[in-house]
Amino acid sequence: DALLPAPQNISILSTNMKHFLTWSPVIVQGETVRYSVEFQGEYEREYANESWIPICECSVITATVCNITEDISATVAYNLRVRADVGARRSEWGTLKGFFNRITTSLTPPLMKVIADGYHLLVELEDMGPAFQFCVLYWKKGQESRMQQKVVKEVSSVIHLDAMEAGPDYCVKAQTYVEAINRSSSFSQTQCVRAQGNSQSVWL
Amino acid sequence: SVTEIRSGFTAIKANIQARDPIRTLSILSYPHSLHKVKSSDRCCITHHLFNFYVDKVFKHCKTEDSYVNRKISSIANSFLSVKRKLGQCHEQNKCTCGQESTEKFKQILVNYEGLNVTSAAIKSLGELDILLDWLEKSR
Amino acid sequence: SGELYCSLPNPRNVHFESVNMKNVLHWSAPEGTGDGVVYKVKYSVYGVGKWIRKPECRNINRTWCDLSSETSDHEEQYYASVKAFLNGMCSDWTETTRFNPLTDTKIGPPMVSVSSTEKSISIILTAPEKWKRSPEEESISLLQVYPGLRYNVSVLNKKTKKRWWFSVSNTTLVVPSLEPGTAYCVSAQIYVTTPFLQSVFSEEYCIATLKDKTA
Repeated sequence: DALLPAPQNISILSTNMKHFLTWSPVIVQGETVRYSVEFQGEYEREYANESWIPICECSVITATVCNITEDISATVAYNLRVRADVGARRSEWGTLKGFFNRITTSLTPPLMKVIADGYHLLVELEDMGPAFQFCVLYWKKGQESRMQQKVVKEVSSVIHLDAMEAGPDYCVKAQTYVEAINRSSSFSQTQCVRAQGNSQSVWL
Repeated sequence: SVTEIRSGFTAIKANIQARDPIRTLSILSYPHSLHKVKSSDRCCITHHLFNFYVDKVFKHCKTEDSYVNRKISSIANSFLSVKRKLGQCHEQNKCTCGQESTEKFKQILVNYEGLNVTSAAIKSLGELDILLDWLEKSR
Repeated sequence: SGELYCSLPNPRNVHFESVNMKNVLHWSAPEGTGDGVVYKVKYSVYGVGKWIRKPECRNINRTWCDLSSETSDHEEQYYASVKAFLNGMCSDWTETTRFNPLTDTKIGPPMVSVSSTEKSISIILTAPEKWKRSPEEESISLLQVYPGLRYNVSVLNKKTKKRWWFSVSNTTLVVPSLEPGTAYCVSAQIYVTTPFLQSVFSEEYCIATLKDKTA
């Protein structure tokens, strides 16, 4: 039997602290190829004889993607590898080129909806998981220098920001903050509303 | 972060503590609770304890349960990340060790060496909430 | 130890039930035993060498025992154990898992008191107290035990049916610029991020803003 080629094009897709390992399929005519994934953190490299740890959710799977979020749970450099199996035939490990550190995850601005309910300024934020906090900035249009900030740690539906005076527009923008990697996303687009009118901005 | 260490430990606490049959000895709390440590000594004790767990404990905690092993890896790598930050404080002399904390840490090592290495490692891992409770109280 | 012949099945599901650090040991009767079973209870502080009998829970036929007093130092951790006796036979001692009052207690909801003016409502939130032996003993708020304690407050406008959420750490919240003569219902929950603890929501307290005198 010809040696099974190791999986190629191994790469990481990491957005908003959700990390996925992907690779190109190994093609063997008329056969089902299965894959297994293992990871190795900096601790394993430096203190545990460079041991590797299998991810059982991604053991002998047919998919060419594995959700490694649960295991990439520290801000250190991780190694990742994949191998292929067809029946009794097994490939060498294909290893991710370079390390992966979650500090490089891409952070997108949060989905946000600003609501004026009578004289009250409210914001609805997307729940992005326990790792995320939100920094919400709001100000009276034209008074950017007097911006106010609210840090939202627990997202629960419609969050009250402040009371508004009748008349001026109030503008709001938000960014996410991830304490575990000490990084923030860019700000969302600014949305403005006015008191008393029942104008509601739409999700952007 | 400490929050992630706490949630990783909570996931395996019952499993790990069930592997420690020795009720009459504690690595971190004997003879005195960590909570008795003076605040001035906190940084030094924390620095020593993170080194202790990374250097001595985690490598002897391998189990037959792959889920538990993955959580231990997660905790160990988080410890390594925090240990690095604490190391910087220690190098910049912001983390000086007083007599009391040096004695306290020596006692912890004596408690640890009093057991065979696997029992000592599993017991230390099972006592992580003692360390985390103390860390969070003093934050 | 002069115990009787121990072939009785063990008590089952021996565990602590704890609310605001009132720590009560609970268990179920041994399998297949009817009435007449009595129990003994002992406890130990983790890391300390001895088991201590609980005299008030000696030869009891109920299946709980209040160990709040014995486990009141929430910087320690504990084990408890129960033994059953029936018709001259006994069971083995059956233990709890390690009990950590700080992380294993359930936090009760906060007390909520609400007052109103024409255009605002004021909400005062009070965290529950830690269990104490007697009313004379000094009270310890759970706020002192969990410095990171915060409140999630929900305010429901009964007219518009809209609900707003506030996340606060201080104990007073004033919601200004409200509509006169309108009913608002408030309920609150406590949450601590680490260790992760979250209470149920309090009852809803409803109050109306005063009517607009000028109208």
